[in-house]
Amino acid sequence: MKLENLIILFVAIPMGTGVIGVLLKQRVQIARVLGVLSFLATSALAVGLLVHLRSHPTGILVSQMGAWPAPFGISVVFDSLSGLLLAASSLVALGCYVHSFSTVEPTAEKRYFHALVQLLMFGVNLAFLTGDLFNLFVSFEIMLMASYCLLTFGGTRLQMTQAYKYVLLNLIGSTVFVIGAGLVYGMTGTLNFADLALFVAERQAQGRALPPGFAALSIALLLVFGLKGAIFPLWFWLPDTYYTCNVSIAGLFAGMLTKVGIYAIARTFPMIFAHGGSDAAKIVMPILAISAAFTMFLGVLGAVSHHNIRRILAVHVISQVGYMVFGLALMTQIALAGCLFYMIQHMVVKSCLFLCCGIIERHTGTDDLDRSGGLLRRDWYLALVFFIAAMSLVGLPPLSGFFGKLVIVREGWDTRWWLSIFGLLTGALTLLSMLKIWSYCFWSPQAAAIERTPENLPNRGSLRPAYAGATLLVLVALFLGFGAQPVYEIAFRAGRQLADPDEYIVAVLGPGALDEVAKYRATSAQLAAGRAAEVTP
Amino acid sequence: MTISSPVLRNSMRLILPITLLYAMYAMLKGHHEPGGGFIGGMIFATAICTYRMSHGALAQLRLMPVHPRVLIFLGLGLALGTSVIPLLLGEPFLRSAVGEFHLPFSSHPFHYASAMAFDLGVMLVVVGVGVGMITQLSEELE
Repeated sequence: MKLENLIILFVAIPMGTGVIGVLLKQRVQIARVLGVLSFLATSALAVGLLVHLRSHPTGILVSQMGAWPAPFGISVVFDSLSGLLLAASSLVALGCYVHSFSTVEPTAEKRYFHALVQLLMFGVNLAFLTGDLFNLFVSFEIMLMASYCLLTFGGTRLQMTQAYKYVLLNLIGSTVFVIGAGLVYGMTGTLNFADLALFVAERQAQGRALPPGFAALSIALLLVFGLKGAIFPLWFWLPDTYYTCNVSIAGLFAGMLTKVGIYAIARTFPMIFAHGGSDAAKIVMPILAISAAFTMFLGVLGAVSHHNIRRILAVHVISQVGYMVFGLALMTQIALAGCLFYMIQHMVVKSCLFLCCGIIERHTGTDDLDRSGGLLRRDWYLALVFFIAAMSLVGLPPLSGFFGKLVIVREGWDTRWWLSIFGLLTGALTLLSMLKIWSYCFWSPQAAAIERTPENLPNRGSLRPAYAGATLLVLVALFLGFGAQPVYEIAFRAGRQLADPDEYIVAVLGPGALDEVAKYRATSAQLAAGRAAEVTP
Repeated sequence: MTISSPVLRNSMRLILPITLLYAMYAMLKGHHEPGGGFIGGMIFATAICTYRMSHGALAQLRLMPVHPRVLIFLGLGLALGTSVIPLLLGEPFLRSAVGEFHLPFSSHPFHYASAMAFDLGVMLVVVGVGVGMITQLSEELE
């Protein structure tokens, strides 16, 4: 069996499990086992492929659906960028899914919960794999449909109010997205990322301008992806949404949903919509830079001002997204690699924090900081997990967040020093907000004043899956910190391929794809050499 | 909701088989011409729902004695199955096997593709979703 054909399994496995899950509505135990197996399989496949591809010359695997050739059919591409994200997202999904066994209500579990989690991951994985703009839209829709259902499982008034806002906003976003995709097709005659990148590269090599309106299109798509990624000023939907749903689901969303938006920017903007020095880039880059500063700083200010664990964590997602946008705003190879590393580490760490928050809520019956305390003595293991995850988020040196921030901030220092300063300030305030949770929840000596009802009575047995999920994620976070070197090797390759998409284009469209561009490049190089020769005498 | 009209009841005896047949025709035609699993499924679901209007929920249940959920499962399973089988044969996902065979008493060769099974799956899903939604909504009305 050819390796290329296997990559579609990232999509097929969760979809198949989800389909079976529809039938297993009442058989909760079987559905759980199948779900865990599905996430284990995708994680193992992603990690295995990543390790295997380290010696591969380009590290890109392409499968053409139905064997239809590239710009016409659907291409599915597994490169270093998708690979790292798939590995991280599958592991995070596994952790959150296992955690949900102890937090999800039995009634919700019998209402297609297991199928919906699988279908959510089906959408997310498809988004990471797909090689064209329209299928990116489709995968967004699959993911959003599943997320709408998962958000409203309780059916409470508050959930419905928040979900209504969320659905409405995303509908607007999707409409703009599909209009944008249509305009891209009208303007360039293709939707395939590699073909679009080739279109841009060709125009650039010929010294011709991009079609009029291309910049406007970039902005429209930036709006859509920014809305999904919750960047400034499109973040307003996020804190309330994550506040109302089940905590394991909130962890999963915090890990996945914003990253998919950021991934879409990382995939399309450096290669196509803001490729080096085009008119569109001149407009998009300052927007991204300003947005990054506001997203980082205002997000963390919001987090410091809140007094509920879940709200602090949710608002924090926004602030952390800012770092990723910072990496994107620099759009150099190294910054993109840093952005990718930050994405995967944030997925893992933030989900882990949400899972810890779920356990804290079970211990104290609330997530209000004033009413909880003394957890350090009652549950040292939880404290340890939380501390490692929190310090990874802050970026304490041997832990994962440090390596993400280090690369981005250093890379930004020369060109956009003010952004780097914002980044460092944000880091300090992140420390403050994490210490706030730590000192109130774990360190404060007074035992929590809790109303002991049977529901919130901590029961070690029923919490065992929750501990397992959080432990898995904290181990991954530790690996990302102490094993940053191999991960960064893959990330740097991804950054290089994003900034200079030649390898990607050839991998998807075939070896002859760049011939035309190479000819133009050679001519313009000759011309430049000739001009230089004229000038020197 | 049921409409107790003898005109509708009696004409349904004609409308139902013709519509179902047309649904299958639209589904099969879709391989080369406008049509396909989605539109075929929509027509199919419309026929079932109209039958429900004229004859009532019980009669509809007798006509289609499966839960819509099962249809969705079968449809998605069939579609996924046809797409995964090429993987086992070393071909890319969704690759379709094509060929021709001769129907008895016909000189015209019949062109087939394994993508038809995929289309059938789509049709089952659409029927399941369509009938399921209408059933749910009309149960609330009743």
